[in-house]
Amino acid sequence: MTERQSASGVADAAPVVLEMKGVTKTFGPVVANDDISLTLKRGEILGLLGENGAGKSTLMKILYGLYSPDKGSISIEGEEVKIKDPKDAVSRGVGMVHQHFTLIPRLTVAENIVLGAEPTKGGRVDMARATRDTEELCERYGLRVDPRSRVSDLSVGVQQRVEILKALYRSARILVLDEPTAVLTPQETEDLFSVLKELVGDGLSIILITHKLGELRGVSDNITIIRDGKVVDTVKTSDTDEGELAKLMVGREVLLRVSKEKSEVGEVRLSAADLVVKGNSGSVAVHGVSLEVKAGEILGIAGVDGNGQTELAEALAGTRVAESGAVLLDGEDITKVGANGRQRLGLAYVPEDRGTKGLVQDFSLSENNAIKTYEKAPFSSRFGWIFPKAMRRSAAENLRAYDVRPPDPDARAGSLSGGNQQKAVLARELSGDPGVIVASQPTRGVDVGAIEFIHGQLLKQREEGKAILLISLELEEVRSLSDRIIVLYNGRISGEVGPDATDEELGLLMAGRGMDESA
Amino acid sequence: MEELFGNFGQLLSSTIRNATPLIFAALGGMFSERSGVVNIGLEGLMLISAFAGVVGAFLSGSALVGLGTAMAAGLAFALIHAVMTITFEADQIISGTAINLLALGGTGFLMVEVFGSGGTSPNVQGFSAVRIPLLADIPLLGPALFNQSLLVYLMYALVPTTYFVLFKTPFGLRLRGTGESPEAVDTAGVNVFRMRYYGVALSGILAALGGAYLSMGILSAFTENMTNGRGFIALAALIFGRWHPVGAAGAALLFGFAQAFTFQAPQDVVPLEFLQMLPYVLTLIVLAGFGGRAIAPAAVGKPYRKE
Amino acid sequence: MSEERRDSGDSFLRKSLRDAGGALVFPLIAIFIAFVIGALLVLASGNNPVAAYVSLIQGAVGSPTAIGRTLLNATPLVFTGLAVAVAFRAGLFNIGGEGQVFIGAITAAWLAVSVGFLGIAAIPIVLLACVVTGFIWGAIPGFLKARFGAHEVITTIMLNFIAINLATYFALGPLRSEGIVPGTETIEAAARIPAIGLGLGRVNYGLAVAVLAAVVIYFLLWRTKLGFRIRAVGLSPGAANYAGMRIGTNTVLAIAIGGAMAGLGGGVEVLGVYGKMSIPFVSNLGFNGIGVALLGRNHPVGVVLGALLFGGLASGAQEMQFATDVPLDLSDVLLAVILLLVTATKLVELIIGKRARALASGTRLDEGLGN
Repeated sequence: MTERQSASGVADAAPVVLEMKGVTKTFGPVVANDDISLTLKRGEILGLLGENGAGKSTLMKILYGLYSPDKGSISIEGEEVKIKDPKDAVSRGVGMVHQHFTLIPRLTVAENIVLGAEPTKGGRVDMARATRDTEELCERYGLRVDPRSRVSDLSVGVQQRVEILKALYRSARILVLDEPTAVLTPQETEDLFSVLKELVGDGLSIILITHKLGELRGVSDNITIIRDGKVVDTVKTSDTDEGELAKLMVGREVLLRVSKEKSEVGEVRLSAADLVVKGNSGSVAVHGVSLEVKAGEILGIAGVDGNGQTELAEALAGTRVAESGAVLLDGEDITKVGANGRQRLGLAYVPEDRGTKGLVQDFSLSENNAIKTYEKAPFSSRFGWIFPKAMRRSAAENLRAYDVRPPDPDARAGSLSGGNQQKAVLARELSGDPGVIVASQPTRGVDVGAIEFIHGQLLKQREEGKAILLISLELEEVRSLSDRIIVLYNGRISGEVGPDATDEELGLLMAGRGMDESA
Repeated sequence: MEELFGNFGQLLSSTIRNATPLIFAALGGMFSERSGVVNIGLEGLMLISAFAGVVGAFLSGSALVGLGTAMAAGLAFALIHAVMTITFEADQIISGTAINLLALGGTGFLMVEVFGSGGTSPNVQGFSAVRIPLLADIPLLGPALFNQSLLVYLMYALVPTTYFVLFKTPFGLRLRGTGESPEAVDTAGVNVFRMRYYGVALSGILAALGGAYLSMGILSAFTENMTNGRGFIALAALIFGRWHPVGAAGAALLFGFAQAFTFQAPQDVVPLEFLQMLPYVLTLIVLAGFGGRAIAPAAVGKPYRKE
Repeated sequence: MSEERRDSGDSFLRKSLRDAGGALVFPLIAIFIAFVIGALLVLASGNNPVAAYVSLIQGAVGSPTAIGRTLLNATPLVFTGLAVAVAFRAGLFNIGGEGQVFIGAITAAWLAVSVGFLGIAAIPIVLLACVVTGFIWGAIPGFLKARFGAHEVITTIMLNFIAINLATYFALGPLRSEGIVPGTETIEAAARIPAIGLGLGRVNYGLAVAVLAAVVIYFLLWRTKLGFRIRAVGLSPGAANYAGMRIGTNTVLAIAIGGAMAGLGGGVEVLGVYGKMSIPFVSNLGFNGIGVALLGRNHPVGVVLGALLFGGLASGAQEMQFATDVPLDLSDVLLAVILLLVTATKLVELIIGKRARALASGTRLDEGLGN
């Protein structure tokens, strides 16, 4: 713990370094930012809290010169500034760590850090100096990174450090981090927060964007809450609690924990034995995973992104071929059965990426609804013809049943909001009354209303005796829905815990610790 | 024995001559693709500059002026591609195809306008072979490598220069970054659009050198559609050479050799048509064997838009 | 039942009209700008653009003979346009129409001479053979892509050169006739596609075959399982794979079907127009097919319209060259400019606003050459 002036961390008298006033930004008919104002003081960590789509990222992109505001002003260190591109932002001392990293995988750490501000010697990039400078920065802030390694070889947590170093190398005084904890284990999050405290101790000011209520406690001084593009309130972190924050963020009372009844656990429906699966790069991503999912239970899979979850889900669903091992559905070996076949046998799959896997964006909802069943009656005949009208009728039914808006079978899938797209996927997958459901990050990037709806649907399926495998990066989600939790680390199961496991327990498993003992 | 060496020397010399336009175009394509813009219009860029070079030399009587007009035409056509794909977000492959058709139709149109008829232009002042003393005396390699047109020597210099620019300079780092991840480069404060314009513009100038060498180095006149697929073969060389200057030059030499062999092989044994197929068949084989394993710049082909 | 049918029919018609209206925005803007640029070129070459365009239009539709020429020009472009469109729907850019036409043409030139004694019965046999050889030739780049990841843009171009040389070899080698014009033997008149007549000059029933091919492709793409798969693979390989479709198989099939169309086009040219394959054979049918398909937004109806426009431009340009001093090649320049502009999303956005982005979907590939 660093020594700080007060409970709220930053002295009220500290000078204001950033003031955004009346910022408004519209995209076509959508008002992303509506008259937003906020202030940031020197040495302050300000939490910027809001749901997906509330307008947090838009506001920060305006600050970083990626978008230009329709109205409003920005002052830095008391001086009104126009920020027309990131270069301007950088020269004003603004640094940003984006949610999706902006690193170039094929370049080295040092190359990434100096890009755009290269030290030169005789017309060439002075790589020796770039490396030295990077090392110095690492030293100074305790961020351990090897400047010579390729970014593609680094773990996500380390890549995030590189992003921070990139900003520091450009002498950032205001650092914005967009959802920085989404890709970290609880312990890595702790590490990150202590680095941030180190930085504000050094005189930097930080804006921390998040949609997770709990994590701002203990790190931020103040929290500004945004809903539907407007600032709802700014509160002192020490004066508030999660319940109040949730209400401010969503605009109504929210059940923080899903209530679920005990369910009858039945026979094993889906199992994997010693499954080995390769990733896109050709290297092994899943190393001999075995698991069982029983009727009436939700088996949660936790882990940091990129630890084999995607490949495991795809191998179970049949969209990726396993190198070895077996997948069994109701005791029958389906390892050699393709995705279609598995679906016909009653295995539904909600893929993590509705944009590129779950839906064909340029297909109509009716075509998307039939994308797995188009070869069967009533959608097609034995002679190869398809019947669009039958597709439309079935889609209309499903869309209504799952509250997809608009419920128009002819609407282009890509024209729907994220939440509605996800509901459309769910409608297709669950309408066939499958016995087993593999759901991969089913609530990624959707609003709270859709999250509640999707959670409700999954629990309903569980009560109906379905076997559900839930993969999620959100620990809270896994904990609140699952009956058992398996943690994946580096493509292996690092442990199994109950839904009442603590952050510390899960965090250790997510970081791969505890594996040696079990081996 | 002497005859064998003589043939070998001729074959080597012809290989260099055939590879030179391919290398120019491939190096040009490299700048474009490394910045994230596919340039399938290399063929057209070469063609229009081959023509413009001849017109310049015809009107001025000077090969150097011809080289200048060739480069200007290559640059101008490349900028059309740049405006369409970078600013107006047209599909890069389709825009490149259009550039090829534009060059084909445009040279046809202008042949009539400038020289009064299609087909072949009058002969003009070109870049004849310049013998480099001492180096040209190296047995076997000397006459093949160092008794060539000035443009060939320029090509020798351009391969290492391109390597240096691409891998050692801030410009090269930013250009490579733009082709890999424009978002990253943008957030680092580098103007993505400007980098892509540079990349495409350079591809025009370099492809123009290739075109000029065709009409003013190998020949001294322009004939309609004289590029005959060389721009596409250069693209294949670029892919086979893994977007690396030395690799691309090596691949271009291989294709140049295939073309040289076509001219040298005895026609009474194999029908002419089959010999003429050889470079294209070789390109296919190379692409099938190695193309799939090559890793293109990650963002190539995709327009960059900020909002 | 009839009630429901009429109802959905109405909304379907309205929706189709709306879609068609949206689909025309890009092509119309491209055509308009191209003609403005063309006018400037004509002006620069010292001619009167109004006179040039008047003679262009007269040459295209000014008389039954002109219309006949336009239709004659348009016929092969329907086939090569379809060749590009089908592949494009699967997310593939088939620049190999040129070679596929040559393969079909040499097939027809060879087979029709051999089975010419069958008279009119020879025609379907020969055309079917052209479909088969075009299919096989088209399957090659599909296979190279599916199996080895070799990008179809370069492989189809290389295959063009190979096909042209191959056809030339046969036409000037084993199949060469005695005549003065180098090429294959002339096919018996009875085994050739008959002319339609009606004062339309040499227009033949090949035009009907072309329209039929467009209808077949329409049903294939929107009313069959195969078409459903091809479109899904083209729009989203990830989602298609997720749904259990085989990307590789559909890649090969789509470009092979394209090859079959172009091959059929080559056969129709030989059987309907030339009666033999002479060397040099007609050029640029394949390349112009790209423009036809993109202008027609890769929809069979659009392809037919695009082919008529291109056919008209070609026949009009002849008249224009005759009446004014403007070289024939102006039409190629116009086509190139249209192609250059037809996917320019941002440009159209500047003119009609943000709607442009949604209208552009499905008409672009946006990918590199190296996978």
